[in-house]
Amino acid sequence: MGRYISYTIGLALLIAIGSLLIQYGSSRDAVQIPDDREEVVFWHFWGGEDRDVVDDVVRRFNESQSEYFVRAIAMPGNNLQAKLFLSVAGGDPPDIINQDDPVVPDWAHRGVIDSLEQVAPAEEVAAVRDFLLPAAEKLSTYEGEMFALCNGLDIRALYYNQTLLDKYGLEPPETTNDLDRIAEAIAPQGSGDVQRYGYLPDTRRLWAWGYVFGGSFYDDVDHQATIDSPAVDAALKWMASYRDKYSADRIAAFRTGDQSLPGKTFPLLPIRDDEMFGRYAVVMDGQWQVRKILALQQRREAEGLPAPSFGVCPLPIPAELPPGVTARSNAGWVNGNFFVFPRNARNRSGAWEFAKFWIGYQSTDQAAKTCIEGGWIPVSQSVVESPEFKKYTDANPLFGKFVELASSPNQFPTPPVVGAAMFKRAVESASYDAMFTDKPIEEILQSTNQTIQQQLDRQQRRLEEAPKATR
Amino acid sequence: MPNHSTTETGDDSDSCEEVTPSGGSRSRAGWLFCSPWILGFLLLFAWPFLASFYWSLCHYDLINPPEFVGVENYQRLVSEIGTDRGFGLALTNTLYYSLLSVPLSVIVGVGLAALLSANVRGQGIFRTLVFLPSIIPVVAASVLWLWLLDPQSGFINYVLSWVGVESQNWLNQSRSAVSGEGLAVVTGWLDGQPLKLMGSKDALVLMTIWGVGNFVVIYLAAIGDIPNAMYEAAAIDGAGPLRRFWHVTIPMLSPVIFFNLVMGLIRSVQTFASIYVLSEGTGEPGGSMTMISLQLFLSAFTDFEMGYASAMAWVLFVLLLMATVALFRTSRHWVHYRTQV
Repeated sequence: MGRYISYTIGLALLIAIGSLLIQYGSSRDAVQIPDDREEVVFWHFWGGEDRDVVDDVVRRFNESQSEYFVRAIAMPGNNLQAKLFLSVAGGDPPDIINQDDPVVPDWAHRGVIDSLEQVAPAEEVAAVRDFLLPAAEKLSTYEGEMFALCNGLDIRALYYNQTLLDKYGLEPPETTNDLDRIAEAIAPQGSGDVQRYGYLPDTRRLWAWGYVFGGSFYDDVDHQATIDSPAVDAALKWMASYRDKYSADRIAAFRTGDQSLPGKTFPLLPIRDDEMFGRYAVVMDGQWQVRKILALQQRREAEGLPAPSFGVCPLPIPAELPPGVTARSNAGWVNGNFFVFPRNARNRSGAWEFAKFWIGYQSTDQAAKTCIEGGWIPVSQSVVESPEFKKYTDANPLFGKFVELASSPNQFPTPPVVGAAMFKRAVESASYDAMFTDKPIEEILQSTNQTIQQQLDRQQRRLEEAPKATR
Repeated sequence: MPNHSTTETGDDSDSCEEVTPSGGSRSRAGWLFCSPWILGFLLLFAWPFLASFYWSLCHYDLINPPEFVGVENYQRLVSEIGTDRGFGLALTNTLYYSLLSVPLSVIVGVGLAALLSANVRGQGIFRTLVFLPSIIPVVAASVLWLWLLDPQSGFINYVLSWVGVESQNWLNQSRSAVSGEGLAVVTGWLDGQPLKLMGSKDALVLMTIWGVGNFVVIYLAAIGDIPNAMYEAAAIDGAGPLRRFWHVTIPMLSPVIFFNLVMGLIRSVQTFASIYVLSEGTGEPGGSMTMISLQLFLSAFTDFEMGYASAMAWVLFVLLLMATVALFRTSRHWVHYRTQV
């Protein structure tokens, strides 16, 4: 009898928990569309804390509107692309999507998304184009035509622990030689069990260092991959010099430790309250880490504990370069979030209004508020210079450094080619091979270049055979 | 011919007629009962199966209509074989994983089953412990292994350190133990260099062996089915435990070993979820986790090259078919069915 009671209670509990979860899940997405408004269906990839910021932007837009009503649908994870393709093929796409992968050329080429001129009047598109920073424009464009509208930039720079540099009498790096000196001072070559490194290059960052070393990965005039160019070769050799200094196995093991930190903590930050230094003195990362630094400093201040001080600087230029190659200052790899407008969407005009609202084309104050809430870099100098945002960057100089870098013409995205995802994977794989295997770097770069070029040629042939997909 | 039967009771008012369904209506009923399965088979298996063959001869991106290109996708696959990119890399990785994990699973599975069949105290607990990993969902198990294989704080390296083996980089290392590079590491170790041998594919093999419990259950059942008389006869003939295991247990288990070999081979080539979780869907480090299943997925759903991915699926199908046929051909030499003993 007792067993049956237990089963019944267990079953009842399961049903109750299931109902609560279903209720919670449906209540977040269930939105009542007012009768006098047109619905705009908005898919986005944001999750966690950022989803709340997105919901707030949507709420503010809906409050500002008498004609349109945006219904946001969160699709975190990496299935958004497949869902979009199927929805377009099935004739029921959303009206607008926010995405951050380098997919604009692929989607545009396949006819999954419309160019902005198919969504809005040409004059307005031209005006919006002028409104954007150069990096935001590059991220929105494929073959000279705008197929996306960038609504937030992600910039990388070097974070450093000023307190740690002071301890060793070091200055923030201005050249790669300075960076090498910091690395050597904190973790001298040949030292035993290293607990903290000055700096370790990350294989994903060849994109950034390649541009800093004056290189490029793609020649868009000749449609040629240029990964084996002397500049990229020099950048990769400099990165691989850390393998020679510390050994590939040690670097690989230490890097894994970064991922094991509780809550994927930013490895520049100390873990325990009695520490002032993290696992590195210098780390390359994006502007979103500023929040974590500020949170640590504020918490320690509130608890009366000493807090380390941190700084941000642009990627240092190389001290030596091959003949004919010029380094770029304030350079790096940029990516960002962007809106796209699926083919055959029902409510293009509502989607366009929402996109303009987000980037601050009509009200820079609203965009400033969004960027401050989300820790995102505005896509327009007008928003950067708006009083509210200026006040924010003045109070947060670390974040301000990233905003300054965003306006640099030397910030480049992944080449806007069809197959950009494959391009990105191949370059990062080459970087891994250089850092962690004994293969000669020239050979790695040539082989990668050949692989990518074959893919580009294949795509180019298809483009010539069937120019831009059926619309 | 309808099948009518009438029962006479001798009382006109109380007669009844029992009717059984005609052949036609029985047939209709049969088809009706089968129809959900038939529909499912045709729509969800037969049609995609045939369609994927047609798509393998096309450029197809899901959005635009398939464009027939003949054998171009197959030519591309062939051109990549023997290289360290695309399908060539995936094929090499898959072969490495299958050729190591399948035989090891059989050896470890049979060994464990032999040990677990011994009548010792706590037998049930040991059997449960061996079987338990195979019922843990693959995603949960993969996340668990991410922690276990951490080079700095993972339990596996901790255990290795007890026996003086230095920590391995496991999932952060593209090189593999059974390879030319692995041999160079061993040679270097003999010269006093660190023995950093194990890589990501070896980690995957280790995970597979950890989950060998469901095969062990089958081996255990088969061992329990071996007549005691055979062991007694062997003992009378002077065979010791090892000879009995080799000359009685293994031959009697051979049909089950054969079954597990074929199933293990198919399963190893289809392994996807654990690879996806361990490499965060990228096949990294250095492409060492890019198995055919992942390469197929990335080509289809990241690069949207459905034609190329379909061609890869068909090549995979043919390779598996050939391997299975080869196993069946060899089976007549080493698989002993009871009637033949």
